Amino acid sequence: MSRLSDRSTIGAWWAAIWPYRHFYLFIAPFFVLFALFGLYPLVFSLYLSFVKWDGLTPMQWVGLSNFRTMLGDEVLRRALWNTLVIGVLYIPPMLGLAFLFAQILNAQWLKLKAFYRAALFLPCVTPMVVIAIVFGLLFSSEKGVLNYALGFLHIPGIPWLTSEQWSKVSVAILVVWRWTGYNMILMLAGLQGIPEDYYEAAAVDGATAVQRMWCITLPLLRPTVRFCLLLSLLGTLYMFDEIFVLTNGGGPGTSSLNFGMYLFNLSFGSFKFGYASCVAYTIAILVFIGTLITNRINRQRGGEA
Amino acid sequence: MNPSRTPQQLLVRGAAYIALTATAVLFLFPFYWLVISAFKTQAQIFTLPPQWLPLPPTGANFVDIYREANLLRAFLNSVLTTGGHVLLALFLCSLAGYAFAKYPQAPGHAKLFNFVLGTMMIPGAVTLIPSFLVMVRLHWIDTYWALILPGAVGAFGIFWMRQYFHANLPDELIQAARIDGCSEFGIYWRIALPVARPALAALGILQLIGSWNNLMWAFLVLRTPGMFTLPVVIYLLNGEIRTPYGMLMAGGLLTTLPLVVAFLLFQRQFIAGVTAGAVKQ
Repeated sequence: MSRLSDRSTIGAWWAAIWPYRHFYLFIAPFFVLFALFGLYPLVFSLYLSFVKWDGLTPMQWVGLSNFRTMLGDEVLRRALWNTLVIGVLYIPPMLGLAFLFAQILNAQWLKLKAFYRAALFLPCVTPMVVIAIVFGLLFSSEKGVLNYALGFLHIPGIPWLTSEQWSKVSVAILVVWRWTGYNMILMLAGLQGIPEDYYEAAAVDGATAVQRMWCITLPLLRPTVRFCLLLSLLGTLYMFDEIFVLTNGGGPGTSSLNFGMYLFNLSFGSFKFGYASCVAYTIAILVFIGTLITNRINRQRGGEA
Repeated sequence: MNPSRTPQQLLVRGAAYIALTATAVLFLFPFYWLVISAFKTQAQIFTLPPQWLPLPPTGANFVDIYREANLLRAFLNSVLTTGGHVLLALFLCSLAGYAFAKYPQAPGHAKLFNFVLGTMMIPGAVTLIPSFLVMVRLHWIDTYWALILPGAVGAFGIFWMRQYFHANLPDELIQAARIDGCSEFGIYWRIALPVARPALAALGILQLIGSWNNLMWAFLVLRTPGMFTLPVVIYLLNGEIRTPYGMLMAGGLLTTLPLVVAFLLFQRQFIAGVTAGAVKQ
């Protein structure tokens, strides 16, 4: 009896599915590839977090020992600190410039719009490995163009890439150059989503340009800015190419080692697959929780306003 | 609104033009430096005051990198892997995007779509090691497959194509084709795809740039010099003891140029694709 009803439920299920077989067929490649390169790695990586493994010798179950190691890991702490410092160095100027230029490019009176937009955006499409080497030339202490230009202002040459104090600044300059245009385009799209009548109504009421900016543009652009900020924070954490090439993987010493570079060294430099997975997982979960909390706070604040 | 401009307005506009032009010059300067350095000798690159134009210009860097780094082969590897990756991505993303846009009554549709969007939250850093091990297990290390397949069909591409089909492909057209006896795949291939050309261009350019510039993954999965793509060749040349900057700049120029041309040709579509990324928030 129950068997019969089982069969008939399966039959009913099949009858519901069958007319849409093309739908499932068309989306199947995504799920196959995701299973192989997304889901399986995600699960396996979780398992790896509890083992000690170099990829060659047999795995060794170590329980929570990786997590304990992480708490005392000086290099990890250093990498997270560097990530924070680099982020603080470049995110405010980058987002400020992006906001300013988005404003200007959104003005109706501006001529040569397409040229300016292309010029500011071009850095985003270029291969980082090439550009980092060009910046390496420009930053060169003795023969670099940057120090040569500073010489005209009677500023003594700065050891951009050879000193622990300046390496983070050099990375920050490279990142500002590379990503300002991207954020500018996102903000430009946000600005174009603000209805023109808001500004007209404000102008009729006699609002000044500053008031319009403060009371219309900024509040309405807040979601876009928040999105840019989230992308930048994640970008700083997982940044790789810039550090790998410009400062030879975080140098001098560990002065520009960020989290992404640290993780790469741990995985493919010292082949600590288990420990690296543990660190990657923990930080990703912390970031996820942090994002959820800030989203909730923002929603509550948005509800009150 | 006011046709006569006040002095204050002129001042603001003048300042805006100056700021914009100065930044544009600064932003283009590294490209300029890349181009002129490619035509300089090592000595010319490091003279002070710097040479603003290579005098006399030399083509030796191009010859050297062609000879020493097997640049032609690297270029071919880059073209084949990027080309394969982009074509596959366009096909699979548009196929899935079409399905999500045009079969809304299929059981489980909403759940499956939310699942696809949810996969965007997974950071690549977490899955890097196991993905690499999958490559080892499949014997894909040092093959084109390792560069073509992973990431070929992703949540963003599916989302982007779905939005486009949803807004621009009328259901009546599909119904009419069905009545004429066109197969479901035939409808996608002959009716949906031609309509989606602008969306495909945008997605294609995004994928092209990501794939062409890919350094870390290519560095991990490629082993023999004959398989190296352009970014890997450039990176490894940079690591040599006496960095051959002229050669690097020549190779760098050849690596950068295709992208700059592609960007300038498809600027509008590309920017549309980037801003669509903001929608997914």
